[in-house]
Amino acid sequence: MTLQNIAMSTGFILILIGLYGAMTHKNILRMIVGFTIAGTGTNLVLIAVGYLPGRAAPILNAAVPIETASATIVDPVPQALVLTAIVIGLGVTALMLAFAYKIHATKGTLDISKLTDLKW
Amino acid sequence: MVSPIYLIVITLGAAFLLGLLSERRTELAHFITVLALAAGGLVSFGWLWIMAAEGASAVEIYTAGTKPPFAINLRVGLPEAALLLLIYLTGLMSAIHMKDMLLRKGRRAMAVLLIAIMALAGIIMTRDIFNIFVFFELVAISTGGMVLLSDDPRALSAGIKYLIIAQVISILLLVGIIFTYQATGSLNIDFMKTPELALGGGGTLAFFLLLVPLLVELKPFPANGWALDIYQSAHPAFSAILSAATGSAALFAVDKIMDIGGASWGPVLTGVGLLSFVVSNILALVQKNDRRLLGYSSVAQTGLILAVVGQRELLGESYLFIAGGLLIGHAVAKAGLFYLSDLVKGRMLTNWADLRRNPLLVFAFATFIAMLSGLPPFPGFYAKWELVHALMASGKTGLVVLILFGAILEAGYLFRWFGYLMKRPQSNTPGTLPLRGVLVTMAAALAGWLAAYIWGELSGYDNLLSQTALLFALGFLLIDWFPAKLKNTIAIAGMLAFFWQSYTGYDPIQMIFGIIILVGGAVILLASYHERGQRIGFYPSALLMFAGLAMLIVAEQSFQFFAAWEVLTLGSYFLILRGKNAEPHALSYILFSLAGAFAIIAGFALAAQGQAGFKITALADVAADLAPWVFILLAIGFMTKTAVIGLHIWLPGAHAEAETDVSPMVSGILLKAGLFGIIVLLSNMGSPELYGVKLTYVMLWIGALTALMGNLMAAFQEDAKRLLAYSSIGQMGYAIFGLALMNHLGWLMALMFVINHYIYKSMLFLSVGGVAKRTGTKLMYKMGGLITLMPLSFFVVLIGIIAVSGVPPLSGFGGRWMFYNAILDSENRLPMIIIFISGPIAFLYLFRLIHAIFLGQLKDEHRKLKEPSFWIMVPQVIYVVLLLAFAVLPGMALQKVDTFLNGMFPEGGLNWDGLLITSDYGYWSPVWIMVVTGGIFAAVFMLLLAINRKAQKVKQFNIVYSAERPYRPETTHFAWNFFAPYRKAIWFLLLPIATRFWGGITEALHATAGFMRRFYTGDAQHYVFHLLGFVVGLYLILLGVQ
Repeated sequence: MTLQNIAMSTGFILILIGLYGAMTHKNILRMIVGFTIAGTGTNLVLIAVGYLPGRAAPILNAAVPIETASATIVDPVPQALVLTAIVIGLGVTALMLAFAYKIHATKGTLDISKLTDLKW
Repeated sequence: MVSPIYLIVITLGAAFLLGLLSERRTELAHFITVLALAAGGLVSFGWLWIMAAEGASAVEIYTAGTKPPFAINLRVGLPEAALLLLIYLTGLMSAIHMKDMLLRKGRRAMAVLLIAIMALAGIIMTRDIFNIFVFFELVAISTGGMVLLSDDPRALSAGIKYLIIAQVISILLLVGIIFTYQATGSLNIDFMKTPELALGGGGTLAFFLLLVPLLVELKPFPANGWALDIYQSAHPAFSAILSAATGSAALFAVDKIMDIGGASWGPVLTGVGLLSFVVSNILALVQKNDRRLLGYSSVAQTGLILAVVGQRELLGESYLFIAGGLLIGHAVAKAGLFYLSDLVKGRMLTNWADLRRNPLLVFAFATFIAMLSGLPPFPGFYAKWELVHALMASGKTGLVVLILFGAILEAGYLFRWFGYLMKRPQSNTPGTLPLRGVLVTMAAALAGWLAAYIWGELSGYDNLLSQTALLFALGFLLIDWFPAKLKNTIAIAGMLAFFWQSYTGYDPIQMIFGIIILVGGAVILLASYHERGQRIGFYPSALLMFAGLAMLIVAEQSFQFFAAWEVLTLGSYFLILRGKNAEPHALSYILFSLAGAFAIIAGFALAAQGQAGFKITALADVAADLAPWVFILLAIGFMTKTAVIGLHIWLPGAHAEAETDVSPMVSGILLKAGLFGIIVLLSNMGSPELYGVKLTYVMLWIGALTALMGNLMAAFQEDAKRLLAYSSIGQMGYAIFGLALMNHLGWLMALMFVINHYIYKSMLFLSVGGVAKRTGTKLMYKMGGLITLMPLSFFVVLIGIIAVSGVPPLSGFGGRWMFYNAILDSENRLPMIIIFISGPIAFLYLFRLIHAIFLGQLKDEHRKLKEPSFWIMVPQVIYVVLLLAFAVLPGMALQKVDTFLNGMFPEGGLNWDGLLITSDYGYWSPVWIMVVTGGIFAAVFMLLLAINRKAQKVKQFNIVYSAERPYRPETTHFAWNFFAPYRKAIWFLLLPIATRFWGGITEALHATAGFMRRFYTGDAQHYVFHLLGFVVGLYLILLGVQ
């Protein structure tokens, strides 16, 4: 099993664990943790896709001359994507935590199954 | 022109600028927000103008100074510019509309609004799929924030549900993006197209994972519980953005990535879209909360457009016109309705009755529901026409059926809602309507009319908004504050002038209809002089109906015909709804009419086979294998309008509950539209056969049964206007029968019927309506003895029923005479017998009109009544004169028609020799008949007068009732349940089978909806489960189909 495969499988396992957690736990905070785990898994999958065995990190310096870079570094695009995704994930998580706080403040509960006043 | 990148710069910059302001400068902050959105709208409009009017090509904006695929590029072409304008205008109007809320929440809320609009603009412009993801996340975050701009505490739980779903979407989307990237080596849409991503290729799953999250952004059934909760609880001005702007952006994102996956994914979109469209419309049927209903409707409309996106290869050049038309209709109307909902205090649909205090808002609401229902002259109408034609031409009948089924459901709840608005009681504490909200709503409505004009110009047909007749009708909207009498004069003058201008172009058949519609309509309008005040809404509606009718009879292309048909339907609906108790009847009228119209559009589309500008006369050249189906579809459509048996249940209520001067219009004139359609159909298509059965033979039977059942049911009515309405059903049955005979005399008879029915039905409706207005009831057993108080009305009704029943000397007899001659020419004996039987039944009900209303004992409370008002009597007197004239000189109208019919049926014409008319079987001399009948009548009358001298006068109350007052006083009235013995004998014929049938369908749909919507439990985790189930299920279906 190559490193890439291990990373990708781990990523998918984390996504599944995260989603499972988010769907089985009623507490909103735990659900948020679940989504964070799933988000980490997603990032891992992204990195794994861009990974090329035996190549260096995509940082151009003395060790990686610009002329030969395309043959010696891993694909930098997924890494850039992951950076962006992490930032966005942070934003969304923060917003969800803010919601959780407000929900607790107004309704006195964090149980998602109690928030069913809108339905049908 | 300013580079489109400034759209992002301006909006984002303004959002940052707000951060620098002091917390308290909220007015300034709002001003900056509005300014930024307006600037964005202006830039978008500039680009749209350059692209559309000057034909400029799309511009590319390269970021990071490098060309794609090494850097992200933005693109603005024609569709992008139009969508950007839509998004910025929606943002602008919402920002103005929810000013109070934004001021309360401060500059942060405004910044969030700006970010949301900026992100939507980004989704539209970017060509990079990861960039699409980023902008979607921005939309998600800002939506999460904007949901909280609501007074509804439940918005909080809607927000968290949304964020939870957004998390799942973002995980799926990221995985999808990275694997499509792996498969294609690029993130730029223009560089990603590879056959591998086509459905069934190696990258199917990768593209599926990219596509599905974007589909979920469109809130498809069943993965849409969260969206409905947001629509229900968020501030309506934000819901407007969510529905109009976010929905459009997400649709465009799907459209863009279809470039990558290719046409093979089209059916997936169509399937998902149509499922949403149909199911959401069913679910909406039982929805009582206005905003949630709008949510369901939004989901449905988006589904329909998604289905169109899936067919874009098939639609080819007209794709943008169709998808754009549906999108603009949906966006403008939905935004407008959400704005309106903010002006309504209560959240029940019935609370919207408060809006009718302001006629402008009623106009806006009517505009919006007409836009959503795809009625002329709005963009959705043109789009519907083109869409159905394209689909029918390529044999996708199933899709058409589903689309039309969903559309009729949608029309059902929308027009029911309009009925609530017009008819339900208003609240006691109305409060004032905020001016800003009214202005924003009106701006949306005007935008709808503007779009209507633009789509008309783009359509390749005559722009409906440049038709004189239609413009004349719409002009009454502008002068609706004039007094009614003045508007009435303008209307009459206009109709007569229009006739004067156009009559030279009519052929004899058109002439008959033209005279009835325009001149006849003007005569009925004389009765409208009795109304005082402004009578707001009456003239635009009535003139819309007349305009539609006038356009109908001169239509040459199927498009013109259908457009006119829809116009007259819409106008007459508004007209009928004006009646006091007309709410349910107007609804069933519009639903039957729209369903009939759908049959007509499908018929024309099937006949045209993709041919643009299909001429009605080309119906004659339809291929033999299609012809019977075209015939059936069109015939069903037209016979819905004439209310043949089984499709008749809308008519009695609609005609009986309409206002006094409206009943004759819809009965005497409007019904003829259906007959005109049948005439056009038969004269062009003749009589196609299906499985060896002549379709006109089926029609013959339908006509005969309609005549029998209509007359029978009329005989058992207690309500005088209902009686007349049922009688119309029967009369139309006669006319259909005559036409379906397909011989010379049958047609002549039917055309004579058209004239006769107009005269005597208008006359009877006016006189009975006038009497009912005086007595305050339409129930005949509550009247009686009115002959002494209203002798003129009595005389009119007497003349009327003589004419209807077809006894000498009036023109009804002429009709009968021709009719029997026509029958002798034909071989169809059995339906003939039925027609013969229905004749005498007409006597039964006609007799009751005279007997129950005018004869017998006068009611105590009616003792001081007078004749109906002068103006209601004027047209009646004109009709009496006309009837007498037409009876003596039928030749003046019919001789030309007779000659004209020789072109179609050379055999069996009549000989017109002065005042003597001869057929193959006998002769008819109207003048002699008049003289002889008059002589007999005079003789008998003199005799009676002589005998009468011996009669002893008895005062009304010289008898005494010794018993108590009966529990149900009507049971003692001689006219109540008059034909009870007959009812006993033929009760099985009178079972309300059709009513039960249609009622059963309605109930079944409502029950399904009531059951199915429990699926939306409100639990966020269930919604996640729905989403994942949707994803997995869709994938399994794809695997299965492959």
